[in-house]
Amino acid sequence: MPFRVWNLVWKEIIQFARDRLMTAFIFTLPLIQLALLAQATERRIGDLKVVVLDQDRSAVTRALISDLDNREELAVHYYVDDLEQLQTLLDQGKVDAGVVFPRGLARDLADPARAPQVQVLIDGSNAVVGGIASGAVSAVFSQYEQEQLQARGLATAPPIDLRITTYYNPTYNTRYFAIPAQVGFIIYQITLAVASLGLARERELGTLEQLIVTPLSRLELVLGKAIPAFIIGVVNFIFLLGVTVHVFGVPMRGSVLLLLFLTLPFIVAEIGWGVLISAGARTQQQAILLVFILAMVDISFSGFLVPVKNLPGVLQWVAQAVPMYHYLVIIRSVMLKGATLSILWPHAVALFGLAGAILSISVRGVSRRLD
Amino acid sequence: MSIHRALAITRKEFRHILRDPRTFFLVAMSPAFLLFLLSHIFAFDVEQVDLALLDMDRTPLSRRYVAALTADGDLRIRAQVASLDEMDRLLAAGEVDAGLVIPPGFEADVQAGRPAQVQVALDGADPIAASQTAAALEQRTAAFAIRREPAAARGVEGLDLRIVVRYNPTLKSLMSMVPGLGAIVLSMPALGLALALAREKETGSFEGLIATPVRGAEYLLGKTAAYLISGLLGVVLAWLVAVLYFRVPFRGDLLAYLILAADYLLAGMGFSLFIANFTRSQQTTMLLVLTVFFAPSFFIAGLIAPVDIRDLVSRLIAYSLPATHFITISRSVFLKGLGIGDLWLPALMLLGMGTGGLIVSLLLFRKKLG
Repeated sequence: MPFRVWNLVWKEIIQFARDRLMTAFIFTLPLIQLALLAQATERRIGDLKVVVLDQDRSAVTRALISDLDNREELAVHYYVDDLEQLQTLLDQGKVDAGVVFPRGLARDLADPARAPQVQVLIDGSNAVVGGIASGAVSAVFSQYEQEQLQARGLATAPPIDLRITTYYNPTYNTRYFAIPAQVGFIIYQITLAVASLGLARERELGTLEQLIVTPLSRLELVLGKAIPAFIIGVVNFIFLLGVTVHVFGVPMRGSVLLLLFLTLPFIVAEIGWGVLISAGARTQQQAILLVFILAMVDISFSGFLVPVKNLPGVLQWVAQAVPMYHYLVIIRSVMLKGATLSILWPHAVALFGLAGAILSISVRGVSRRLD
Repeated sequence: MSIHRALAITRKEFRHILRDPRTFFLVAMSPAFLLFLLSHIFAFDVEQVDLALLDMDRTPLSRRYVAALTADGDLRIRAQVASLDEMDRLLAAGEVDAGLVIPPGFEADVQAGRPAQVQVALDGADPIAASQTAAALEQRTAAFAIRREPAAARGVEGLDLRIVVRYNPTLKSLMSMVPGLGAIVLSMPALGLALALAREKETGSFEGLIATPVRGAEYLLGKTAAYLISGLLGVVLAWLVAVLYFRVPFRGDLLAYLILAADYLLAGMGFSLFIANFTRSQQTTMLLVLTVFFAPSFFIAGLIAPVDIRDLVSRLIAYSLPATHFITISRSVFLKGLGIGDLWLPALMLLGMGTGGLIVSLLLFRKKLG
């Protein structure tokens, strides 16, 4: 039996090598994707554009404007003379927030009987950006108030001195968050792209019948299609991990071997999905459609764009069944936090369990489809 | 170039799309279906931050401080820990997002007029969440320090900060995610075209076409037209899901939206036509679309994090993706009610990409084998 499987694997490899563009792509496209995404990932969300309408032009407003500009999340980009201009900039998406200082702000601030109003307009069309901008602006004003109270000796109690230490990624480098996740996504895509079309292509081109009449068993057929995808996945992983650490400078604080060991069930699980799609689809186009839908759902549940704990209960359970979710926790924790198996074991167990379950479903599905 | 022959190709392609229900689904219905599916996941606003608390002071003031931090429920105490080690372990396991350490003597320091130190350990692995958590803690701490002083004792009223969020007053993510995701899911018709072009080469039906008098331009324009029209049906269905099911306000003009969406579909198809010059199999096509078109659109086109305008290279990458422009367009038409006149720049960029891809593929197109 092993001999027959290797024959099939060899046939697949020859087929790949014949499509020269595909052979070139299978190892270069992952790198290109990683480079594109790494380059375009922000180091830190910052410098959200602020427009200021200063009707007071006093020392107080100047101090507040410079406080706003000094805040890392914000950058004062425009000064305007009337509300209409501010409105236009906000409409056109040229700024993310606008701050309006009314006339007499400094005078009113000194008068205990008055509470001068400062208006802040936030562009909420991207809720994440809107949230960051509004949080940063309120923090600037709260701190200013506190400083003022202290300076005037009005605050009998001193402030609470909040010392924030950021672990694992003190510079808030978004790349450290994004690139390990991207490695996971890319491995996912490449193994799925290879595994999902194997049987579908044979069926579309009419060569599947020939394979079925050979003495190959169903399991051998699955293995023959899965092993090349597995090899491609593992080679790409090692390559991408090297680039991530040595070119993009993402720290590798945990054990490389542990990460590699936990990458294997992830690849196996995705190949299982791929083979199942491949057996179920009548044409390659259908298989590709299913891959894209699966990819969108998996990306959404992976916890990369939306933290899984923010999902409602039922969807949190669904996320547990998505291998990508567990794998992203693992790769990020091993690389950034140096996590060991003693911390990661629940995710590791889940990943192995899912890999086994998906693979057995897929072998069974293939048998049913081919007989 | 004969319009008649191009229309014949369009008709043939339509028959192809309609005959196989799955192809029809891919081109016309999958955007609405995916929008429905994905928006549910992206719609949750409860951005809860879990804290581990190490309160070594255990005084009324420290309890009041913690209560003030967690009053609105956005921050919550997930675990009370007894040691820094335990806190570190929870952070490493990702069970909490931040640790809060209130040192012994907190209350005494505050009452004696000495600055009381509070330490926060943040999990920076997710930098966006970490900076939001930091801002939330700073703001609440400052507010707590001010509130402790009765207004009379302070003798000042302080500032009255009025924050107004335009276009999406409650900052609901659903409102900004549905129009944004529209751009992602509407990449499916372009994928359909790219696959159709590759399939004809792979299965050999392209050879049959070579034998007919159909010219390159007629073939490409005819096919593009069929997918563009089916794609527009997809736009309408996705729009209905957004407006009727998710109840996202649509403040713009529907006709303008359809024109701009056709512009976006055309830009994606320009990319499809361009890569079809080089690929010979559906697998290669799929891999290309996934890696250089689809995945970047999902992650760097400004769907969640804004495009990094500080770095020229990242700006170039983001702006060369059609999705970057259409995310802006879609959100602006939906939420701000802008028209084509306000959005001429992104619209023109998309038009350039679409016609550019079409022209390049017309120049490179060869009706020959191998």
